[in-house]
Amino acid sequence: MQPLANITPLKPAPRAGAIKVGNVGQVFKTSTQDVVALSDISLEVKPGRFVVLVGPSGCGKSTLLMMMAGLRQQTSGTILINDAPIPEPDPNRVGVVFQEASLFPWLTAEENVEFPLALRGVAKAERRAKAEDALKLVGLEGFGKRHPHELSGGMKQRVSIARGLVQDPPVLLMDEPFAALDEQTRMTMGDELLRIWAATGKTVVFVTHSLTEAVYLADEVIVMSARPGRIVDQLTIPLPRPRTYEMLSGDTFGTLRDRIWRHIRKSA
Amino acid sequence: MSSTTLRRLIVISLILLWEVLPRAGLIPELFLPSLSSTLAAGWNEAGEYGHALAVTLYEVAISMVFACGGGILAGAIVGSLPGPRILIMPMISSLYAVPLVILYPVFTVWLGIGSESKIAFASIYGFLPTMLATAAGIQTIDPQLVLAARSMGATLSQRLIRVIIPAAIPTVLSGLRVGGALVIVGVVVSEMLISSAGIGYLISRYRTILDSQHVFAGVLLVLAMAIAFNAAIKWIERKASIWQTGTRAGQRAAEDIPVTAIQPAT
Amino acid sequence: MAGSLGIKVARIVIVVAVFAAWELLSRTGMVNPRLLPSASDTLATLWELLQRSSVRNDLAVTASEVLIAFILAVPVGAVIGFAIAENRYFAEVAKPLLFFAFSIPKSIFLPMFILVFGVGFSQKVGFGFFSTIFIVIMSTTTAVESVKVDHLTVARSYGATPLQTAWRVYLPSMLPVLLEALRISMIFNLTGVILAEMYASRDGIGHQIATWGENFQMKQLLAGVVMIAAIAMTFNELVRSVETRCSHWRT
Ligand SMILES: Nc1ncnc2c1ncn2[C@@H]1O[C@H](COP(=O)(O)OP(=O)(O)OP(=O)(O)O)[C@@H](O)[C@H]1O
Ligand SMILES: [Mg+2]
Repeated sequence: MQPLANITPLKPAPRAGAIKVGNVGQVFKTSTQDVVALSDISLEVKPGRFVVLVGPSGCGKSTLLMMMAGLRQQTSGTILINDAPIPEPDPNRVGVVFQEASLFPWLTAEENVEFPLALRGVAKAERRAKAEDALKLVGLEGFGKRHPHELSGGMKQRVSIARGLVQDPPVLLMDEPFAALDEQTRMTMGDELLRIWAATGKTVVFVTHSLTEAVYLADEVIVMSARPGRIVDQLTIPLPRPRTYEMLSGDTFGTLRDRIWRHIRKSA
Repeated sequence: MSSTTLRRLIVISLILLWEVLPRAGLIPELFLPSLSSTLAAGWNEAGEYGHALAVTLYEVAISMVFACGGGILAGAIVGSLPGPRILIMPMISSLYAVPLVILYPVFTVWLGIGSESKIAFASIYGFLPTMLATAAGIQTIDPQLVLAARSMGATLSQRLIRVIIPAAIPTVLSGLRVGGALVIVGVVVSEMLISSAGIGYLISRYRTILDSQHVFAGVLLVLAMAIAFNAAIKWIERKASIWQTGTRAGQRAAEDIPVTAIQPAT
Repeated sequence: MAGSLGIKVARIVIVVAVFAAWELLSRTGMVNPRLLPSASDTLATLWELLQRSSVRNDLAVTASEVLIAFILAVPVGAVIGFAIAENRYFAEVAKPLLFFAFSIPKSIFLPMFILVFGVGFSQKVGFGFFSTIFIVIMSTTTAVESVKVDHLTVARSYGATPLQTAWRVYLPSMLPVLLEALRISMIFNLTGVILAEMYASRDGIGHQIATWGENFQMKQLLAGVVMIAAIAMTFNELVRSVETRCSHWRT
């Protein structure tokens, strides 16, 4: 991979976004009953922070992310991205990266990254230039002409990240982006993500089931309880940056991970 | 010996047997005329067969437009709306059980014995499987793709044109394959039953005068048509293979259509 | 399952609506009633036809042709299918050939059956057999392949005899697939026999329908269509209900 110094940020001055979630609730109405997925969630993410959401399966992490992306409307409460509500998806403010690399199999890596720009009718040349920058940023220079099935799982996720970043949104939401990868790839992708994050200065909200990944990546970990999802703990990770592999075996790391695990075991 | 070699050998020996057995008198020429005499018979009447082929191809082409166009459209609608799907799909697979060939006499009463009745019958014959295949394919589109497009701000029509339609292409192709094959069957069967032109008609006419060589020449022609159609679809599928997810599983899914999705291709 | 009742009602409504539209089109004269006799007339004709001994006789002929072709095709096809599925090499050789045989229109060989058997009972049975056998082979292969290798390994590691394996592993895993195969084979079989009867025959319900068509007897023709459709769909639904019951028991 390229060393950090060689990476030019997408824009000279990185844009970062603030997220404010106030008393948000989500109720799913099904034919048999009403499912309270989330109740009374409040949190604030400062610009440029890397925040990780953890919690037992089904506690509403994806739902919360969907609402921040404008893909679903909350039943109650408010969500503000850069001080404005988000009634519908707005790729200029929020980029989303999904679990399975949700790349379009019939498009090349390049065309996949260009996709959001093509939707807005951006001219071909400009699109291509931006896509090339974004692919370079994620370390995939020269792979633009390949189709997704010609890329490894890790590379596909890099393309997804490039697609999420191509419009330079201040906020990047990631729902278990590395869940489908093997452990080794997953570790390298974590480092890669931190590098990209450092280079762009985005605000990142990241969902994961891996506690190690959570502590390793985050400035701040938000722990949620089982349904109805509530915030039960909020930890600031005091580990210095850049994070290194040695930290994983340190005392601080272990203590933090144990604390999160106890919450999750209690609510599961 | 590799399986392909053995398979080739089997095919070659079948063709040879077709030539040798009737010649040796082991099978009466009335039951199965030898391959060479069949080809010669066809060649001698090339003009007649050519004309019949033109009629049949014309009917097949028009029916194909109705059956596949209509089937893909209806399948897309039924497949993407959950309401109609739950309501209609079981009714349609129940209709599947009906031997549709009994409808042909109805069409001859309504439309006469010209091309119209063949086109109507073959269109209906090919419609149902195309529709079912398309509906099933639309349902298998990964919802994540649509969600991702939405997160990038795609409008409804952009999602349809840029995501749903391209994602449905492999299914539509396999729908075309099933539907198209049935359209050919439908046209030929209806020509065989009652008509005054086309290859099916020739087969039936020569059958009544017990001229097996000319019957088999017609049969060969229909076989060639079916094979050519299959090859064409395969070619398109290869060209469009990038639409498959690229996984082996994806490619195989298009190869063998589930048994349940096949209508009695009699 | 609160919604399922609503769906059933909605389906009945659709069927009734179709019949009502048919009735209306014909009664109001929007469509020439001679070309499209009303639904009520057709059903009345159907009732009357069922009383006729000639029609009953035709039905009996068709039923016996269908049954005999079926009884012949299923075991023969099943044995071939088993043989193919059990041997990897065999399967690789035969499958593309079978697929090809399956995809070509069988109807064009109908004249051959007439040339060989003449017009009659054995020709119908022969063609019914021919239309059915390929689908039976293919479904049997699918059924055998649906048996999980894991289950077989487990059975063998516990020292199950071949008979026990057949009875306790093969049969339960294959039953749903086999029932499905039976249903589809029957559909193919029925189609084949009826087509053969329509093409050249002296009796059988297919022949009767073709004759009504040639003589422009629309009432009888439509009644015959409704009758065959009803019989086919009833059979189909019967097997399907057994299928769902079996799949409950299986899981
Ligand atoms: N469309 C829906 N209709 C009804 N209930 C839903 C719907 N979507 C989600 N839920 C429910 O809401 C709850 C939260 O779902 P969500 O997918 O947000 O959980 P999650 O924390 O992301 O789980 P996981 O860790 O397994 O991804 C779950 O209990 C789920 O069953
Ligand atoms: Mg989730």
